[in-house]
Amino acid sequence: MQPLRDVAVVAFAHTGHLRTADELSEVEMLMPVLHEVLDRTGLKTADIDFTCSGSCDYLAGRAFSFTLALDGVGAWPPISESHVEMDGAWALYEAWTKILTGDADTALVYSYGKSSPGSVRDVLTRQLDPYYVAPLWPDSVALAALQAQALIDTGATDEPALAAVAARSRNSETNTAAQQDYVVRPLRTGDCPPVGDGAAAVVLAAGDRARDLCARPAWIRGIDHRIEAHGLGVRDLTDSPSARLAAEKAGAFERPVDTAELHAPFSSQEVVLRKALRLDDDVRINPSGGALAANPVMAAGLIRIGEAAARIHRGESDRALAHATSGPCLQQNLVAVLEGDPR
Amino acid sequence: MPEVLKAPLVVEFPFTRSLGPVQSAFLTGLRERVVLGVKTGDGRVLVPPVEYDPVTAEEIRDLGSFVEVAPTGTVTTWAWNHAPRRGQPLSTPFAWVLVRLDGADTALLHALDAPGPDAVHTGMRVRIRWADERTGAITDIACFEPYDGDRAEPAGHTGEFENPVTGIVAPARLDYTYTPGRAQSAYIHALGDRRIVGERCPSCRKVYVPPRGACPTCGLATSEQVEVGPRGTVTTFCIVNIKAKNLDIEVPYVYAHIALDGADLALHGRIGGIPYDRVRMGLRVEPVWTEGSRHPDHYRPTGEPDADYETYKELL
Repeated sequence: MQPLRDVAVVAFAHTGHLRTADELSEVEMLMPVLHEVLDRTGLKTADIDFTCSGSCDYLAGRAFSFTLALDGVGAWPPISESHVEMDGAWALYEAWTKILTGDADTALVYSYGKSSPGSVRDVLTRQLDPYYVAPLWPDSVALAALQAQALIDTGATDEPALAAVAARSRNSETNTAAQQDYVVRPLRTGDCPPVGDGAAAVVLAAGDRARDLCARPAWIRGIDHRIEAHGLGVRDLTDSPSARLAAEKAGAFERPVDTAELHAPFSSQEVVLRKALRLDDDVRINPSGGALAANPVMAAGLIRIGEAAARIHRGESDRALAHATSGPCLQQNLVAVLEGDPR
Repeated sequence: MPEVLKAPLVVEFPFTRSLGPVQSAFLTGLRERVVLGVKTGDGRVLVPPVEYDPVTAEEIRDLGSFVEVAPTGTVTTWAWNHAPRRGQPLSTPFAWVLVRLDGADTALLHALDAPGPDAVHTGMRVRIRWADERTGAITDIACFEPYDGDRAEPAGHTGEFENPVTGIVAPARLDYTYTPGRAQSAYIHALGDRRIVGERCPSCRKVYVPPRGACPTCGLATSEQVEVGPRGTVTTFCIVNIKAKNLDIEVPYVYAHIALDGADLALHGRIGGIPYDRVRMGLRVEPVWTEGSRHPDHYRPTGEPDADYETYKELL
């Protein structure tokens, strides 16, 4: 189904890789990214019809950090604004929907996360079923390792193949990745995402406004997101029916894509996603390095959409798939299909 | 640039959660060393049981749908955890496992006590090791252990118990290293010298105290540091009549918004050195520092004439 309006990503900015931004507060880390993304379009805050952000207070242990982050936008006179306690990819979904309704022609979407102040492996246990699972404190690596072992058991991958995914993502040697220590077996250090801080922002615009703001807009041909049951033992961890359905609803299977930016924080999850999203070897996977290269939690999914869009802006892609995930073991998945105008 | 300030921050809370009928029966069952599943409309047995069918969303709360399953089962996947973390079921290295108990169609997450990763494989047989003290919680299962005996036969429990548990208390603790960021660090450093230093917006020229690094009106970084006060004006106030826990201040007392001279934003503080019922808008005050304190303990009257309303009405 065609979207009701043509909406495009017209600009993208992010902080780059930060192991720790401990000298900066959230807003101090975020603000340069907001300024950069607005500068790329020449827009001011007052020109933006709708602002939507994604973040999670648990990461840094700061209550209502998103309200302080909003200081970086300049929200006076009062702006039309919303926030999701999710990755910024879902904030983008809300902004896209808002533009489709005709209530807005432009939107600023941003997200940020500071994982360095806490222990993100433990923090993420708090999103789990509080009755049967969270009291056991199964950390995020442990759950991904259960998924990886299930995948290995099916014969779909093995440890050397996972090391190859990790090495490709970081432009390093496979041998090095294969010799690293286990974090939770079968996942080694290289199979797990780095812990870090970061922020990202995109600007969305509709129709002619998008053409005015960007030489080659990255048109959003479709976005969909789907979620699976929360019970880990109910799901087939070796497959991602939610990612597949989201991709189908977003129109990803109508024509081949040339590029895919996958939000796979663990190497084994890339294997699951490639299969679910039917990405063959002709598709360029994660030219940005993906979440294995930098994983600012709450921003890493939005960065996938931004990186895919930026390749279209630069003429390096004509049709790209961008994916974001949330929850343990790829529980929830969002897929966006982006296209550039014919050259 | 001054050193980055850091301090430990512990966020800790006991979540008290009420249980629905399905969770109550399951967790009460664990207390009694009985494992219950629920049967869905299409005949699958879900363990751990849930209140809604994860495939059809059909409500499952009819007591007749409970099915007792065996305390023995099969590992469907595993992961070796050589470095257990706080709160996890075992403090010695163990395997995380998903176990499909005999009689169930879905798997339960828990720990498996095994001597090492070579002793664990998918498909291995395990059984529940019960905790000595059981309260009606998932931790009533201490862990799983390897098992090579026969499949245990469940007794066919109906799910009705004496004194069912109706809630759980789940303690949660997360440890952080708090860092206040550039602007607030500078503010805190200045407080160490008993100076109150705000920051000015380069566009609207407003001075924010305490500074947070950004002008919320303009969306720009503040950077020019401006010392304000120490004297200021009470712009508005309230009288606190309820004693706060762990706060050694006699009630009633006055908590006020105070616009320090030179600041464009009021901060708040307690007013002392004057009866609570004589505090008023426009009262001129100054900070009182106590020995070893990192911030003003309270503000007291300076004795100056009250400020004219026109001078602070924009700061209300």
